[in-house]
Amino acid sequence: MLEARDVSKRVRSPGGDELEILDAVDLCVPRGASAAIVGASGSGKTTLLGLLAGLDQPSAGRIVLDGHVLTDLDEERRARLRRRLVGFVFQSFQLLPALSALENVLLPLELEGAGNAVARAREALTAVGLARRLRHYPAQLSGGEQQRVAIARAFVHQPRVLFADEPTGNLDRRTGAGVIDLLFELNRAHGTTLVLVTHDNNLAARCDALLELLDGRIRAVQA
Amino acid sequence: MKALPPAWHGLRREWRLPELRTLAAALVLAVAALGAVASLGARVEQALLARAAEMLGGNLGVSTDYRNLPADFSAEAARLGLQQNRSANFPSMAFHGEASQLLDVLATDPAWPLRGHAQLAAGNGRVYDGHGPARGEVYLDQRALDALHLRIGDTLQFGGMPLRVAARLVQMPDGGELFALAPRAVVNLADAEAAGLLGAGSRASHRLLLAGAPAQIAAYARWAKAHLPGGARLITPTDVQQRLRFAFNRASTLLRLIALLSALLSGIAIALAARRYALRKIDEVALLRALGAPRRQVLGLLATRLGSIALAALAVGVLLALVLAALAWHLAQALLPQPAPPLSIAPALGAALAGLAVLLGFALPPLTRLASVPPQAVFRRSLGALRWRDRLLYLLPLPVALGLILAQGGGLKLSLGLGLSLIGVGAAAALISAALLALARHTAAHAHPALRIGLASLARRRGLSLLQSVALSLGLSALLLLAVVTPALLSQWQRELPPDTPNWFALNVQGAQRASFARQVAQAGGTELNMLPLVVGNLSTINGVPIAQQHFADAATRRWAEQTLRLSWSTQPPPGNSVVAGHWFSAQPRMAEVSVDRGWARRFGIKLGDTLGFQVGEQNLDARVTSLREVRWDSFRVNFFLLLDPAHGHSLAHNWLASFHLPPGQATRLQATSRALPNVSLIDVDSLLARLRGIVVQVGTALRWVLGFSLLAGALVLVAALTASARERRHEAALLRTLGADRRQLLLASIAEFAMLGAIAAFTGALGALATGQWLALNMLDLPHFIVPLRPLLLAMLVTVSVVTLLGLAGTHKLLSSSPLRILRQE
Ligand SMILES: Nc1ncnc2c1ncn2[C@@H]1O[C@H](COP(=O)(O)OP(=O)(O)OP(=O)(O)O)[C@@H](O)[C@H]1O
Ligand SMILES: [Mg+2]
Repeated sequence: MLEARDVSKRVRSPGGDELEILDAVDLCVPRGASAAIVGASGSGKTTLLGLLAGLDQPSAGRIVLDGHVLTDLDEERRARLRRRLVGFVFQSFQLLPALSALENVLLPLELEGAGNAVARAREALTAVGLARRLRHYPAQLSGGEQQRVAIARAFVHQPRVLFADEPTGNLDRRTGAGVIDLLFELNRAHGTTLVLVTHDNNLAARCDALLELLDGRIRAVQA
Repeated sequence: MKALPPAWHGLRREWRLPELRTLAAALVLAVAALGAVASLGARVEQALLARAAEMLGGNLGVSTDYRNLPADFSAEAARLGLQQNRSANFPSMAFHGEASQLLDVLATDPAWPLRGHAQLAAGNGRVYDGHGPARGEVYLDQRALDALHLRIGDTLQFGGMPLRVAARLVQMPDGGELFALAPRAVVNLADAEAAGLLGAGSRASHRLLLAGAPAQIAAYARWAKAHLPGGARLITPTDVQQRLRFAFNRASTLLRLIALLSALLSGIAIALAARRYALRKIDEVALLRALGAPRRQVLGLLATRLGSIALAALAVGVLLALVLAALAWHLAQALLPQPAPPLSIAPALGAALAGLAVLLGFALPPLTRLASVPPQAVFRRSLGALRWRDRLLYLLPLPVALGLILAQGGGLKLSLGLGLSLIGVGAAAALISAALLALARHTAAHAHPALRIGLASLARRRGLSLLQSVALSLGLSALLLLAVVTPALLSQWQRELPPDTPNWFALNVQGAQRASFARQVAQAGGTELNMLPLVVGNLSTINGVPIAQQHFADAATRRWAEQTLRLSWSTQPPPGNSVVAGHWFSAQPRMAEVSVDRGWARRFGIKLGDTLGFQVGEQNLDARVTSLREVRWDSFRVNFFLLLDPAHGHSLAHNWLASFHLPPGQATRLQATSRALPNVSLIDVDSLLARLRGIVVQVGTALRWVLGFSLLAGALVLVAALTASARERRHEAALLRTLGADRRQLLLASIAEFAMLGAIAAFTGALGALATGQWLALNMLDLPHFIVPLRPLLLAMLVTVSVVTLLGLAGTHKLLSSSPLRILRQE
């Protein structure tokens, strides 16, 4: 289960004054469910996703991930939790430029010290249609291909919860549909909880819940 | 000109970039180190020349044998506004009552001496600085007074005329000639001429001494060189004072070396910083190009920004150099003659030029690539393909470094040696790192997962890792070289001039007087007494051919051959002498054997097995050359070009030369000795020794100052090398963090990475320092027994690995407490 209570995020803007990005957000995604976060650009979707995944701390409020109160943990403990429980697809991919596609995907397995790592990584890349691009470096891949490497990296270690920030933003309709099918296949086969940020209505419609952010507040919830 | 406004606009923001600050700091250091050493060196050089001029009695001399100089030599000097002093030197007999004595006579006009001091003692014992004697007067040294039973005020017969003894000669500028063999007299030149002592057939050598400003002296020297009649020669202060020069040359070699290494270290730091700057600017440049800025404009923009920063750095460097030189000079003032030569800014400006060369040579390669970034880099971040022209440009630092070494006056041998060894260190570091990186890549698969990540990321960033380890190795090698060679050199000097170095010499001790002389010296408080036999003679034949019929390469060699020779003998090679060819004397050789200084042998083209004929008084001796010696002439010992085997040496007419140490200021205690043994002449060389020690102290101070620079430059290289990958590493660590890497894993990864980097650098750096240090000691610094001390080297390697690892860890540590999302957003 993933739960957020009264979560706020304030940052100091370059001008010096406080900027409220998120304001008392509440949400709840049951285990094995899928949720889509939608909203206008700059409404705070990425910020919320980062907080839910434990990549950052809220200014106020409480977040519980799979029974662990993230907001009570320090960065070190959150890191260990992420390793076991979380997969994350960044809006800007965040691949390591010095590593090949395969090596990028290997990283979470290496951190876990998992066995049979190379085979599993190769499998994950095959699943996103990049079986022939294993040795390519990010600079040699197109935007959509980089995005698929990022997705493979996010699920290769079979996380409990998978967060994805606009996972189909750079993909054509067919490839995008293939990636979405893959995510929901994971959701069904392994009970992986999905939390997606998307502008894609088709994708949003397939999710169990839909949350709309407007100026840092949850405006509407459809279940 | 269009490029200007945005350039200035961006300058303030640019200045905040750490790599530009590194670049500026490195430039300041390079210029300051080169400039300080150059201007300090120039001043010490000038001071030494001034010293030597005092010993010569003028800034320049022209001398001829047996005949007077043409009148236009004097006219030219007058035209240039130089002071002049004419003199002649010849042996002559003097009489007083029954006594007669051969004197070494200096006949001079009253202008003598132009530089330095002639110390005279009046009848009442008062010592004063005087000038050449008036007509009818003579100055005599103590030995002459004793030999002729004269007192001040008495009259002697000289060249058929009576001369009144006006003063006792205590000390005079003597061209640095330590051993004048006959008692000395100074008379008026006009008297000598009137007595007919300088006419045709006389054995007098004439001398015109000149003094004046350096520029006029140089002009005169040029003129004189072109107009010298046969048999005449120029005497410059640089010819004087060989020992001072030896010591100074070695010191200045080392000083220049240190400055140079600092500059090269700075160059490495500059190259690393420029590369990082170029990488950072790719996006900006690509965007400008995509927005339609032509290449020239982009180049102009970059050049203006960097140029203004470089200009400021150069100015600060020059200023710093001048301040440091002035300060160091101030500290060393007491050791050097006053007034101090003026501080010239020319060397500091030269250093600025050198700094500019360093900047261009080391920063240009990465920056020109930046200028050629294609507009499509907006889509795919890259510097564009590396073209051949660019590749060649990366070799630019090489000629710059070589040029620097040459410009530092290091000479071709030093330039090539140092350049080659630096290239060697760099190449070795690159090879070893490449091999180790490949190895790391393969073994990483079997390593602990965390270590694996570190090793793997080092191996994956291959180009950058290579750059880092080469830079670190070179930096370390230079630093170790300085750290290990410098103290060894300094301590060697100090060992050479221990406090009880002989500061008195005694000439003309007769064989029968040796025991009583030793007793007298001991009573006066003298220690370290050492007596050497001394034979005075001439070289008469080489391989049976008389000297007069020999063909010599030049006039100077002929003069050397005709000079009076001093020979000695010894059962063992004396300290500071080593046999480099042939063998030391056999026990009782049938034919006389002689051991020859290598330089002397080279001058006359003498080989092992040649025969030299000597004439000593009425005796003749033929000796076979059985060994060649390397003699350390800068050690403060009495050394001889020629040593005979003891058995044959003994058979020649000889007396003894003694050296001993007497605490400074105790000269009066030797009065009893000179009364008891009037034929013995005592010579005080304390002032000479003090000067030599002064140089050692001063050079030591200067070395420490300049060493500080290179330490800073080395630290800059370290920082620049480690921060070269900081951005990549920060991004990588943050990402690993989002993927759930814990503290241990991140720390282990960076330990693996940096320990490996440090180890490569330490290993190749130490190897480079070892080889270069040994080479320098043997070939440039003349330290034949120098062995690079291993323990400090090992210690330094350990320190390197630890410091590199710790610095790397410190960088990682900062990331551990902040949230990864924030770091990723900052990128
Ligand atoms: N560290 C920060 N400092 C200042 N402002 C920030 C910071 N992080 C986020 N913001 C601001 O908060 C707002 C929300 O950002 P966020 O990235 O969450 O938007 P988003 O909903 O994901 O938008 P998009 O759909 O364009 O990706 C934006 O206006 C952004 O400028
Ligand atoms: Mg976003």
